[in-house]
Amino acid sequence: MSVHLLDRELDRLEGLWEDGLSDAYRSYLDAVAAYEPALQPKLALAAALVEMGLRLQGLGGPAAAPPTLLMGDLCLARSSRLLAGAAPQSVQITFARAIEEMSAAAAAGRAAPATRELLLRALEAR
Amino acid sequence: MIANRVRFETTHTTEFVDITNRLRDEVRRSGMRMGRLHLQSLHTTLGLAVNENEPLLLRDFEGMLARLAPANAGYEHDDFARRFDIALDEPVNGHAHCRQLLLTGFATVLVEDSELVLGRWQSVFAVELDGPRHRELAIQLDGEFASPPRSPGKAAPLAKRARNGGGNGAGNIGHDLIELELARQLLVDPGPVSEPMRRLVEAGGKRLRPKLVQLTAGIGPRSEPLRAASLAAAVELLHNATLIHDDYVDESTHRRGRPTVAAAEGPERAIAVGDYYFAKATRLIAEIGNRAVTSTIAEALDAICASQIDDVALRGRYPGDHDSYLRVVRGKTAALFAAACASGALLSEASPEIVASLRRYGDLLGVAFQMVDDLVDFSPSSGKPVGLDIRQRVLSLPLIYAAEDRKVGPEIRRLLEGNLGDAEVGRVADLVASSDALERVRGEAQALVDAAVRELETIELDGWRPTLIRLAHSAVDRLS
Repeated sequence: MSVHLLDRELDRLEGLWEDGLSDAYRSYLDAVAAYEPALQPKLALAAALVEMGLRLQGLGGPAAAPPTLLMGDLCLARSSRLLAGAAPQSVQITFARAIEEMSAAAAAGRAAPATRELLLRALEAR
Repeated sequence: MIANRVRFETTHTTEFVDITNRLRDEVRRSGMRMGRLHLQSLHTTLGLAVNENEPLLLRDFEGMLARLAPANAGYEHDDFARRFDIALDEPVNGHAHCRQLLLTGFATVLVEDSELVLGRWQSVFAVELDGPRHRELAIQLDGEFASPPRSPGKAAPLAKRARNGGGNGAGNIGHDLIELELARQLLVDPGPVSEPMRRLVEAGGKRLRPKLVQLTAGIGPRSEPLRAASLAAAVELLHNATLIHDDYVDESTHRRGRPTVAAAEGPERAIAVGDYYFAKATRLIAEIGNRAVTSTIAEALDAICASQIDDVALRGRYPGDHDSYLRVVRGKTAALFAAACASGALLSEASPEIVASLRRYGDLLGVAFQMVDDLVDFSPSSGKPVGLDIRQRVLSLPLIYAAEDRKVGPEIRRLLEGNLGDAEVGRVADLVASSDALERVRGEAQALVDAAVRELETIELDGWRPTLIRLAHSAVDRLS
């Protein structure tokens, strides 16, 4: 899958690519194989950005320092933009519900389900 | 007895409308020979007076009202941050209410031989104090009639109010829908996230973004108030979610007079609550099922987050410059204003030209709004500590202008390079106030609002133009 397709989506996030984002991206590629080819990289990146964003923010653990939190926020926002443009409505909703579930658990001090597991399930909601 | 309404349009901010002949006509049509004509203003910024209709004297009255209740005296009523249940079309008009208190809202004129009993120089005036507007007076004619009273005209149902009139018009209904929707959404959320958000939502806020959604969602051919309220509430939740994270980043201890989530419950909870409502808001918007709306809001959110990063980065070069300021503000504040306007219009299936104009209107309004917010930081009557932005090294246009000032700039820059204690913050604020920076920013904000209003001139807005214009002016009138 060509990363050039994702240039615009990685604007300002390039530094994260080598810092775990590319690995996360690759791990979602199989899960998006059933989608139209043009949508696959965007959906895989959307999932990877959620995973990376929540990790940067420190959701469910010690809070990130403000600049890192803001980078995490940008990852979530970029993911949302990708989904708005490329994902079926059902996937947009399931992604949002996954984040709701994880953040509600974090706010309550409960252990949250694994992010990747939830997002892989969300990608099946087409 | 006959009851009726007298309706008219005013054309000026303050205006003495001579209604004597209108009342004579009402008496004539009613057939009343002897009795009383009772007159009552249906507005809190429309008074009544009986006096002489002499143009210079009317100017004297107008001057007297302005001296007794000046427009720029600073009225608590105009501090929307501290008020609850603000109407959708709430104007900045504390002075007009105070002026009305100096007049009367009720009058009775005697009728004899089917004529009003008035002295040679007496006329009856409706006194507009916050125009131009559509106005209504209630009248009752009580007495002896030459023939059975005839209804002088078909009275409009009392419940039906003009969109741009006073009282419980469409604005209040829309406002109630937003509040209901917000309450409904918070009701179903888990306590650890909903309680902090409820405190923030219930603490007030101007609700400008949801108001913009709701107004613009009435413009196109597909106007659905409940869908609009759902989108409006989601936009407000999204805005509040960004504020919760911002407060942690800025180390703010209070917002809207209450402790921030980060200060009260720690940054971990603040991050979780912000994330929850970011996700919930995007879900609510996705559930509306309009991809253009979803994309519009998502792009705005991306711009907000990117600008937040720029904002923090610029603090190392504090106070920054005009271009950097504009770039940050366009993303941080104006992007959601523009998206609110565009998404409402898209939801109502307005034409692409209207959507584009409203997007530009929102962008200009958002920048103006932020500039005025910056000015509030230097206003002792704002209810907030003066100089909070300086202390937190938040981008501020008055500070940028003052730092470029030949006279006060060098001292400001020197102070900003060091530690900012109370004395330094106070000194910087005084230096800014002593320069022409505040006036320059006010003028720039006003010019942006004027440009925003011009965006509305060439498009068909189905009667919403006056409300959108008033909303735009209210963005800069917060300090007047």
